[in-house]
Amino acid sequence: MEKFSYIGKDMKRIDATCKATGEALFTADLALPRMLVGKALRSPHAHARILAIDTTQAEKLPGVKAIVTAKDTDGDKWGVFKYTQDQQFLPTEKVRYVGEEVAGVAAVDEDTALEALSLIAVTYEVLPAVYTIEDALAPGAPQLHDVYPNNINVHVVIDVGDVKKGFTESFLVREDTFTAPEDAYFQGEPYAVAAQFDHSGNLEIWMPNAGPHLKAKPLSNVLKIPLNKVRVRKITIGGAFGGRSEISPADVICALLAKKAQRPVKIVYTREENTVCTRQAHAMITQIKTGVDKEGRVVARDITCHMDGGAYSSTGPIATSVPFLCMEQAYRMENVRYNGYRILTNKPIRGMFRTHGRGFACGVDIQLDMLGEALGINPLTMRLRNARQTGDLTPTKSYVASCGLTETIEKTGKMSRWAEKFGKLPPYHGIGIGCNSVQTGFPMGIRGGSQAFIKLNEDGGVTVITGIVDNGQGNDHMIVQIAAEELGLTPDDVQLISADTEVTPSDPGSYSMCETFIGGNAVRLAALDVKKKLFRIVAEEFGVGEGELSAKNRKIFITKDPQQSMSIAKAVRMALTRNESISGEGSYWPKVDWKREWVKNPYGQLSETFSFGTVICEVKVDPETGQVEVLEVTASQDVGHALNPKVVEGQFEGGVAMGGQGGMLTEYLQWHEGRVLTPTQLGYLVPLAIDMPKINDIIVETNDPKGPYGAKEAGMSVAMSAAQAYCGAISNAVGVYFHEYPITPDKILKAIEEKKRETEKSNP
Amino acid sequence: MNEMKKAAITLNVNNETHDIVAYPNRTLLEVLRDDLHLTGTKESCGEGVCGSCTVLVDGTPVRSCLTLAIAVQGKEITTIEGLSVGEKLHPVQEAFVNHHAIQCGFCSPGMILTSYALLAENPNPTEKEIRRAISGNVCRCTGYAKIVEAVKSLTEEGK
Repeated sequence: MEKFSYIGKDMKRIDATCKATGEALFTADLALPRMLVGKALRSPHAHARILAIDTTQAEKLPGVKAIVTAKDTDGDKWGVFKYTQDQQFLPTEKVRYVGEEVAGVAAVDEDTALEALSLIAVTYEVLPAVYTIEDALAPGAPQLHDVYPNNINVHVVIDVGDVKKGFTESFLVREDTFTAPEDAYFQGEPYAVAAQFDHSGNLEIWMPNAGPHLKAKPLSNVLKIPLNKVRVRKITIGGAFGGRSEISPADVICALLAKKAQRPVKIVYTREENTVCTRQAHAMITQIKTGVDKEGRVVARDITCHMDGGAYSSTGPIATSVPFLCMEQAYRMENVRYNGYRILTNKPIRGMFRTHGRGFACGVDIQLDMLGEALGINPLTMRLRNARQTGDLTPTKSYVASCGLTETIEKTGKMSRWAEKFGKLPPYHGIGIGCNSVQTGFPMGIRGGSQAFIKLNEDGGVTVITGIVDNGQGNDHMIVQIAAEELGLTPDDVQLISADTEVTPSDPGSYSMCETFIGGNAVRLAALDVKKKLFRIVAEEFGVGEGELSAKNRKIFITKDPQQSMSIAKAVRMALTRNESISGEGSYWPKVDWKREWVKNPYGQLSETFSFGTVICEVKVDPETGQVEVLEVTASQDVGHALNPKVVEGQFEGGVAMGGQGGMLTEYLQWHEGRVLTPTQLGYLVPLAIDMPKINDIIVETNDPKGPYGAKEAGMSVAMSAAQAYCGAISNAVGVYFHEYPITPDKILKAIEEKKRETEKSNP
Repeated sequence: MNEMKKAAITLNVNNETHDIVAYPNRTLLEVLRDDLHLTGTKESCGEGVCGSCTVLVDGTPVRSCLTLAIAVQGKEITTIEGLSVGEKLHPVQEAFVNHHAIQCGFCSPGMILTSYALLAENPNPTEKEIRRAISGNVCRCTGYAKIVEAVKSLTEEGK
């Protein structure tokens, strides 16, 4: 008998059909009776004092049903952490970026709402602004907030071993600076929110979110209503990619408008608003100094990174830490110092993104290539020599319970024929490699764990109730697959109620890649609880021990004598007539060090387990145009155990597109001072089907001791390692190591030109 | 306020006739979504770049966000809701489901309709032809690999 019925099998996702027919409802598709159109008035200034807001004319416009400004709020400041409470959703004193919300309008239609916005008169006193990290840190620079002197929002210091001694003992030391501008999430679905209050003061609210409970608590705080009155509802979500986890000003404005108008209100963002007024990815300047021994092993590393955080903290302490943490997980480094600074500027707010720290990770990796070249060691060997191993402790003291990084490097190298290609390709052809690692959940305070319930029906079917959210990656299917597997049911027997804060228990959300590991474990434990209760009944009936039973094909049977069986439906009916509870509960609280804190104490177990991945990329560069043609990409990751391999492959392929093809070739935001010049697809180039190379997927399974069926997370590290591999490949093709990302044709042509000039100089 | 006069517009959508009264500047996308409640057609960019709002007009994929509703009277309009027959999915939809070509699903209606139109015109496209045909439809999740596989599975070569 096969070990698993569904785990590890290619299965059609339960949500695919309704998405193929157009039946799946996204937030913008909602139409509630008497619903109004909501719009936000936004600041045209990067930094200005609000002297007055006059809504008189707008209120007189027929069809306008409600207008909200800061006067309708308590003026409280919100933040992810107690020490980062700095954002008012409708500011009372100052606006700090172009696009910040100043007022909200609800009207009978869009035209009326837009006209009303134009009738709101805001008097501003324009203040000097800062648009770059350098300007923000300059002496006498305008200050964004009183509480962050010199515009330094967060400073993370990590210091492990003896860095100074490490450099002294190194055979070779290099120091380089790497930079990357801001990039955009560009989720398919523009942000939208719909809200309504009933007469008992219950708020129902829908929006694309990366965690309904992450949204509900701040809404409860800001609106000053109990948590059980905030009902964040389940809705189909068109992508998150690290965003959409935090409360948005639009959520609050929409709720305030709905309350004031006593009618449902829906706000749908334009593409431009989605780019500018949700979150962007940080721009970064990263200085990396690395010392290696003769064999290329890293002896010491000192990294200083300045991140442009935009106008507010958002998830600042996390964002400032994670690029370093991913690298300390992926590569061994005993003596290491990290200084991470998040700097505030008068630009839109930056958050955690799927390829957060592309410039950082590419810097660490390409510097390994440079050091390797000087030592005569090829990039793949450099990575093998520095790769993290199972049983290691990371510098910040996380135990690594399972690690297949070496296997991913070896298998990727073999499939991409690295040994035959590296150093042997024709001119302007290149091959590069990148490795990365991500977490499966951070210490997230009270919401760090997940709970799940399972209810049984008399026909043997079940309903799983969990706070897990699906942003498009396939979490809904993962839940059903686990419950069906554990209970011996088919996926059709499992109904799902998820991501609805009225009924589903606490869950961290689809954040920090934790839903499979933490949420999946909770669902599995709930199913085990149900199974135990059912087995007790069947064991008694058959006169055997509970341990002698198995569940499969909707039956519970004696493992050694499968003919002796009882249908699950019958076992449920017996339980009902015996007045025995057979509902299940599961709860999973990951073993992380809860004393670990991003700034105050960045040491201790960060995540219970980590995933590891390698990407190798082969490119051809056109020296006349600077265009890069990507010939082939091989992506691999240690996912623990692939619960649904095709879903895992889809995550790899999407990761290559976003991190490699987009992140390293075309994606970056262009600016005029604090204004985004390329907020839409006409200017911000996301990869198209015709751009994408052939992708080979290699799934590596280390069967994590604590993951559900050994699973960790699917594909996140690929997005990052793809960026690194693209960077390595282009550098290899051109014969110049790139320090500025993304590597656009102008940079390539400039590099080729400079290289020619240098060659001519040395060989006159 | 809107000074324009509303016009009577007759649209044939998914083989049904709809008579509506709307401003002549209303896009087909707005009318489909707001007046006919056919919300399977999505808006993502609103400027004719991303392909999320793709519908078929007389079998040809068009951007409904750039098409005026009044301009497509008398034509056959097909939206994603018009592809399946009762519970039965159209083979293109089925291929997308079976080949994991759908993740978040926001681009899927447009992507499926574009693929449908490609296969109607050219039942055996090469991979390059598939990629070129769907390059007016942006997908942020999949990297397109499984979408191309899905379409290829419907060609002679892929069967």
